[in-house]
Amino acid sequence: MKFLSAFYKRKIAFAGLIFISLLVVFAVFAPFIATFDPQGMNPVDKLRSPDSTYFFGTDNFGRDIFSRVVYGARTSLTGSAGVILFSLSIGVLIGVSSGYFRKIEPYLMRLIDVLMAFPPLLLALVLVSILGRGMGNVIIAVGATYLTRTTRIVYGLTLKLREEPYIEAAISSGVKQKWIILKHILPNMMSPLIVQATFTFAFSLLDMAALDFLGLGIPPSIPSWGNMLSEGRMYLTRAPWLLIFPGACIVLTVLSFNLAGDVLRDRLDPHFRRDIEGV
Amino acid sequence: MNKWIRTVTVLGICFLLLAAAGMAFAAEKGGMLRVAVIDEPPTLDQHVVTSDLTTMIAQHIFEGLYTFDSKYSPVPLLVKSEEIKDGGKIAVLGLREGVKFHNGKELDAEDVLASMERWGKFGARGPVLFSNLEKVEATGKYEVTLTFKAPFAPWKNLLAFMNGGPVIYPKDVASSAEKTPITPDQYIGTGPYKFAERNPGRYIKLVRNEEYAYRAEPADGYAGKREALFDEIRFIPVPDVGTRVNGVKAGDYDYAEQILGDLFNSLKDDPSVVTTVNQGANQGMMFFNSRNGVLKDNFKLRQALQASVNMEPVLQSAIGPVELWKASGSFMPETTLWYSKAGLDRFSAGNQELAKKLAKEAGYNGEKITFMASTSYKFHYDSTLVIVKQLQEAGFNIDHQIYDWATLISKRGDPTQWDIFFTHHGFVPDPILYTFMSESYPGWWTTDTKKALAAEFAGTLDATKRKEVWDKIQALVYEEVPVMKTGDHFTYDIYSPRLQGLSASSLIWPKFWGVRFK
Amino acid sequence: MLSYIVRRIGSMIPSLLLASIIVFSFIHLIPGDPAQIMLGDQATPEQVQGLREAMGLDRPLYVQYGRWLSGVVRGDFGNSIFFHQPVLDVILDRAETSIFIAVFSMLLIILVGVPIGILSAVRYNSWPDQLFSGLSMFFASVPTFWLGLNLMLLFSVILRWLPTSGFPSILESGNWSNLRYLVLPCITLAAPNSALIIRLTRSSMLDVAKADYVKTARAKGLSEGAVNIRHIFRNSLISVVSALGFTFVALMAGTVVTETVFSLPGIGRLVVESVLRRDYPTIQGIILIIAFLYMVINLLVDLSFAILDPRIRYS
Repeated sequence: MKFLSAFYKRKIAFAGLIFISLLVVFAVFAPFIATFDPQGMNPVDKLRSPDSTYFFGTDNFGRDIFSRVVYGARTSLTGSAGVILFSLSIGVLIGVSSGYFRKIEPYLMRLIDVLMAFPPLLLALVLVSILGRGMGNVIIAVGATYLTRTTRIVYGLTLKLREEPYIEAAISSGVKQKWIILKHILPNMMSPLIVQATFTFAFSLLDMAALDFLGLGIPPSIPSWGNMLSEGRMYLTRAPWLLIFPGACIVLTVLSFNLAGDVLRDRLDPHFRRDIEGV
Repeated sequence: MNKWIRTVTVLGICFLLLAAAGMAFAAEKGGMLRVAVIDEPPTLDQHVVTSDLTTMIAQHIFEGLYTFDSKYSPVPLLVKSEEIKDGGKIAVLGLREGVKFHNGKELDAEDVLASMERWGKFGARGPVLFSNLEKVEATGKYEVTLTFKAPFAPWKNLLAFMNGGPVIYPKDVASSAEKTPITPDQYIGTGPYKFAERNPGRYIKLVRNEEYAYRAEPADGYAGKREALFDEIRFIPVPDVGTRVNGVKAGDYDYAEQILGDLFNSLKDDPSVVTTVNQGANQGMMFFNSRNGVLKDNFKLRQALQASVNMEPVLQSAIGPVELWKASGSFMPETTLWYSKAGLDRFSAGNQELAKKLAKEAGYNGEKITFMASTSYKFHYDSTLVIVKQLQEAGFNIDHQIYDWATLISKRGDPTQWDIFFTHHGFVPDPILYTFMSESYPGWWTTDTKKALAAEFAGTLDATKRKEVWDKIQALVYEEVPVMKTGDHFTYDIYSPRLQGLSASSLIWPKFWGVRFK
Repeated sequence: MLSYIVRRIGSMIPSLLLASIIVFSFIHLIPGDPAQIMLGDQATPEQVQGLREAMGLDRPLYVQYGRWLSGVVRGDFGNSIFFHQPVLDVILDRAETSIFIAVFSMLLIILVGVPIGILSAVRYNSWPDQLFSGLSMFFASVPTFWLGLNLMLLFSVILRWLPTSGFPSILESGNWSNLRYLVLPCITLAAPNSALIIRLTRSSMLDVAKADYVKTARAKGLSEGAVNIRHIFRNSLISVVSALGFTFVALMAGTVVTETVFSLPGIGRLVVESVLRRDYPTIQGIILIIAFLYMVINLLVDLSFAILDPRIRYS
């Protein structure tokens, strides 16, 4: 609740929050909101500019762009959520283990350091090339690039938390390791991690769009904003509506999440604030 | 006095004529042509690769024994005279004398022999000719003799087709070359332009060959006089089509190839660029797996799949404006004598009812059919999207798998991995070059009927009789359905209005000799 | 300090070794191979196999790895399968473009981002602060190629002020006016990256302003301006320098989208194209070099901390 009140202060962030809620509604209720089958092709109607039937116009296959944008919300939200889940769960596992158990720390962190040395986009595209294109594989590939950063952050947080007086007190009074981690360390990480997750959401959306642009992302049979941009980019002069609507959606979504993360971060304990990477 | 005036007038006129000639000459020649191409070619070694990009560039550097005129007929290029003996089994080719390679050495029969042998062993299309060849020998300083096992009609077409074809390298280059492509320092040919430099990622540079030995005949297609009017030609890789278009409009490039179909109509009317269509039709082709899987022997099932697809929406979506495609079922285009109507009643039927009926008769029970396509070529993916939709609507269980080109090729080699894959076929001058005529190309069409007809096709010499056999082969293709063609489509390029000498359409690959700045 | 540096350099070696193993195995896990790509669609399986053998691609993986690694330690990264040139030459050709882009984009980012960040911090929560935050965040949310294409459309096609694409070499021709080819790409790259720097500069300054030693400086009687610049800024530099370091590496290698739009012969595009062509030696070479660069920058950034913050000492 204290989070929500933070949004009232910065009006723009509040607008962003509303946009995100709208997006979630669109994603969940896509079949009811979309006016056409997003894959339904109508070559006769190809490249129509927006009108009353096709709100956002049609693409080079005669597919309705409005419906594709609506279903694209589903894809983009699922994708980014998947990346967060993947990178966060594994990141927490490795990060906490390294931060807490001094013995394995050097090996795990060395591995993470080496992986971080690879440019993220390249790592993602190599992974997609190996695994093949598919929603799950793209999530794993992009998730892997965020994994390293998340692990680093969790590791840093764990180290800081370990030194907190109440943790040291718990250790010296003989509380079990597992208990300490579960009851003290993890809950205190929640806030910074939530903030980090909002930024991950935003950037992973852009990363997946970049992969789509290179033809190595989500398979084109699934409507996604990134694919729409990638397929439509040749029509910049001929039919700009192919790019305007999915592009605007990406920008607004990423912007909303960045603003939200920003506001939330300002409310964080300054001790942890610096650890969060974001805009 | 009169004599003086006369002399001065004559001298004056001569001077004026010379000046005019000089100026015209100066205006015609010179300058650097900048051609924006879609990618960098893997190599310029014409023997081993069939990349069209390679041929577009390499045709300026290397030459072969024959080439094509505007009617796609093979005419002599490096050859001077030919003599056919023994009912077609022996061809004695006399070479032109005084033709120099770019390194100054004169071309003779040894160079031709070495190049032909290398091409025969390691060339992309070499085996097609050489499996029918008994031997090839140098029978004189400027004479080469080919002895065939049996009369083999397509030989001249094969010698004239440069794409994966027998260009002539100097003997020391050809005899030391094997499977690996020759290196840039070995790019020595006889053509109107010389290879100058390969700057990776930036350009490939050719410069005029001042010692080029011109043929006397006027230019006709790729044949005849090849005038090198530019000082330099640069082929610049610009992968993004939007950037290629913008570049020509802004004056950064003079020529840009392979422009998006949907931009054709607006570019056609745009006064800042000129559009030119490449007449060498490309065809989208679906290959069916004849070696393994649910489609292996089941011709009826294949016919069912064939019947369900209407190719017009496929071409409309994937290619764009009607000027750039033709839903034509004949494999060879109308402009050639190979145009055939055999079996066309089965082409582009789009009849879902018939498809379902045939599928039932074929015993189809909803088995999964794996259909591979690649996103590396936009129109591959776009075509299959529409085709798969139609197949699915007809009740077929299609598993549409998308890969990048490299992965697709690697999976294609394993017959257990696919049932159908999509590729495209470029223009070929002789039907024998169609990949489905080969027994080793994935698809592996090797029924007895086909083998018999293929042998007959190769052995018949008379053009009319060959056409009759080809009609039978095409009919067989529509019955056994080893492949399905989508239709003909044409790519188009754009260029700056400053260029003169390019025609409204190019034969197969755009060429830049006989072209100059206005 | 010196022993710290030596230790750090020493620990880079096992990291690089690990990196080389990861790179090699990942690349060879990708299906498809360069022989088939090179020969094209119509090559027979025998031709492909022949080329594969000629290239040494049929040997067991550990043998190929051993061969490659033994070359690398001697400085020989092998030959590019696609370009038939030593990988190092291919990379160096492209390095010029990438280095220029990285350096000039960084300059833009620093010259634009840092002053705005300072301004935003000094005028905390006023309208310039909100405006700049909003704008920078906006630019960080835009897909790069869209920004690039629109810039190209406006400045190259419509206004004709700048060229559309390509980048003729400056080092070869000595022609420094060729920098104009990099103006639009650098703007395209600088815009989203500035956001992070603005944000970091701003928040670093704000945090440090509240810290104890600034209170002490004020108590000592220094003027407001001197307090601002001398104390706050120096200590804020730490996170900013860190971010700048890693931005630089990203600008060297991760710019494939911009390079594709503007047709620039840089390293980003080279890697992606090499992956698509399965040009193993080139991919391996580049990624290893980038990893090395990253580790070096890491070290330099850490060392700079010692200079900027007297409390940090390495031994």
